Amino acid sequence: MAQSSTYLPGIVKRSENGPYSKESEFDMTLARRTAELVREYGLKFDPQVLVPADDGLADRLYQAGFELFLEMGAYNQSTERRILFSRDELETAVAAAPSAITLGTGKDAVIERHRGVESTIPCLMHSGPTGTPCSERYHPLILQSCAQEPLVDCLGHGSIATYMGELIIPGSPLEILAARSEAAIAREAVRKASRPGMHIEDNAVSLTCAGKMASIDPASGLRPSDGLLISQMPELKTNYDQLSRVAHLQNIGMHMVDLMTPLIGGLGGGPEGTAIVTIASHILGVVCYHVSYHFLGHMHLLKSNNTDRMGLWIEAVVGQALARNTPLVAVNDIYTVSGLGTTEILWEVAAGAMIGTVCGLHQHGIGATAGNEIDHTSGLEARFQAEVAHAALGLSRQEVNGYVLACLSHYEDSLNDPNVGKPFPELYDTEALVPNNEWLEIYHQVRGELSDLGLNMESWRKVRHG
Amino acid sequence: MADTLEQVRSDLVKALSSGQTEEAESLTRQALAAGADPLDLIQNLLVPTLTRVGQDFQKFNIFLPELMAAGDAAQAVTAILEEAIAASGAETSSPGTVVLGTVEHDVHDIGKNIVNTMLSSHGFKVIDVGRDVAPSRFLETARQEKADIVALSALMTTTRPATRSTINLFQEVGAREQFKIIVGGGCIDQAWADEIGADGYAPDAAAAVELCKKLVK
Repeated sequence: MAQSSTYLPGIVKRSENGPYSKESEFDMTLARRTAELVREYGLKFDPQVLVPADDGLADRLYQAGFELFLEMGAYNQSTERRILFSRDELETAVAAAPSAITLGTGKDAVIERHRGVESTIPCLMHSGPTGTPCSERYHPLILQSCAQEPLVDCLGHGSIATYMGELIIPGSPLEILAARSEAAIAREAVRKASRPGMHIEDNAVSLTCAGKMASIDPASGLRPSDGLLISQMPELKTNYDQLSRVAHLQNIGMHMVDLMTPLIGGLGGGPEGTAIVTIASHILGVVCYHVSYHFLGHMHLLKSNNTDRMGLWIEAVVGQALARNTPLVAVNDIYTVSGLGTTEILWEVAAGAMIGTVCGLHQHGIGATAGNEIDHTSGLEARFQAEVAHAALGLSRQEVNGYVLACLSHYEDSLNDPNVGKPFPELYDTEALVPNNEWLEIYHQVRGELSDLGLNMESWRKVRHG
Repeated sequence: MADTLEQVRSDLVKALSSGQTEEAESLTRQALAAGADPLDLIQNLLVPTLTRVGQDFQKFNIFLPELMAAGDAAQAVTAILEEAIAASGAETSSPGTVVLGTVEHDVHDIGKNIVNTMLSSHGFKVIDVGRDVAPSRFLETARQEKADIVALSALMTTTRPATRSTINLFQEVGAREQFKIIVGGGCIDQAWADEIGADGYAPDAAAAVELCKKLVK
């Protein structure tokens, strides 16, 4: 394997010596080439078949995404140069990427494995505020409410806007203090949930490399068994701040997580092109970031969700393409338009969760209100997502397509005028840290309606206990 | 001749809408040669066409590449028409100058780029100062360009405070009243705009155009 070429010093060398390109030219070339690849590979979005059972489509999509990354490479914004790789380097790096990883430590460690299409391997459940802001007051309780859910395997983080009431200024000492404080709060949340070794996947309050690194503190912050996100800027862009995170985390053996946000309707164009860009983004995460696992975080350019027909189709076809053509560990990253305490959010989650299960992904939730409203995360919707994911285990893609269309009928009309619902403190008893009756009734209502549709919502018992 | 000019105008609308820059440039020259008034072409052909393109984008009938291509074609056509206006001794009719950028520490610029395309298409002179822009650079550029409006974009909750610090700098140096300052982006809402004393807030690119038009009246 050409280790030296994709090893980090090689990435820096290519960043300094690769072809110069103005960023706007890179964007236009990417948009034009993606549109050509959609035609060349015969990719076609069908709004009635959101979970295609078409292996040929999945394989053509993978090839198109591979070709796009081979031709474009990654754009380094710091040097305004393209980082290019040979076909052999890319094929080798993808083949050698991890297919199973141990997340967390001790009794709370879990093994996250590559999943195939219609795999019998159960999904792991990542939970926590996903790209959503939290208040300083409720952030610790929100994290604990997620960590204490038995079906949650890994804890996400979420960001706060203030530190001791002061707005956090990125790049200032306040960012460092907030990063360390929030890492300690996440650690304390898993301790209070009696799951001290649970994998914590990021420290989201920090924006800069310095902030991310400050969150690492094996005694009271993040540990190598936890993770930190390495971001891509849309589309196929990186910079030295992100690559510097890789340099340190690789050296201390800490998990790195590939965060991408391919934009539906963005430079990739429609759903087919966005799917191509999403495949290419995964390959970037392999060769430039050497990550443990990938977050499939595509989102609508204007609404920032991925639960409309285009978003669901992209999740389905990209998941299948990766499952069939790579050993990668990939995780969905559901962003809803609806807020907590609504039936609509649970239907949105159910659609995304079922697709994840049969299309080779693990589960991550939930970016409620598309990340706009504060304190819109709780443990209950994570419990629901895990239950739905396990209920879909063993179903076919055709069966799930029917279920997904049924889910859509419950929320599609509200996508343009979403029900924002209520924040965490209005839906949880914040002393006992349990959902209140209002939120539980909504949960039981949708759970019951899914059962009526034919989904076995008690499947999680079998999944967990064999 | 009238029929020919009507046909050229019709073809120009199509070329602009579909982002065919070279075709649009050629048709613009044909229209001018046929006696079209360049100011009329801007006001009654270019702006309405790009407004429709913007509306199609907001409805997701078209996507970003199509919007960008139409914007590029519109810029090329605008350059030809402005040259013709200048040659005739008349003055161009830009509604105003906007200094546009993403605030300090925020590297997200797709939303800002869309606003740039839309404002430029509506005749505004847009000075795009890029992303991760320090407050002092907004100030220096606004002064240098004699801007009418300074437009600040921020996507993330963690970068939102930079909109306030930018406005504060304008205030501190006594330049606040010289410019209208507007804000937008994923983490911004009207309440935040009010709190930091912005002159306006726009939830999307189309609204940003309307807001700028209103502020320069």
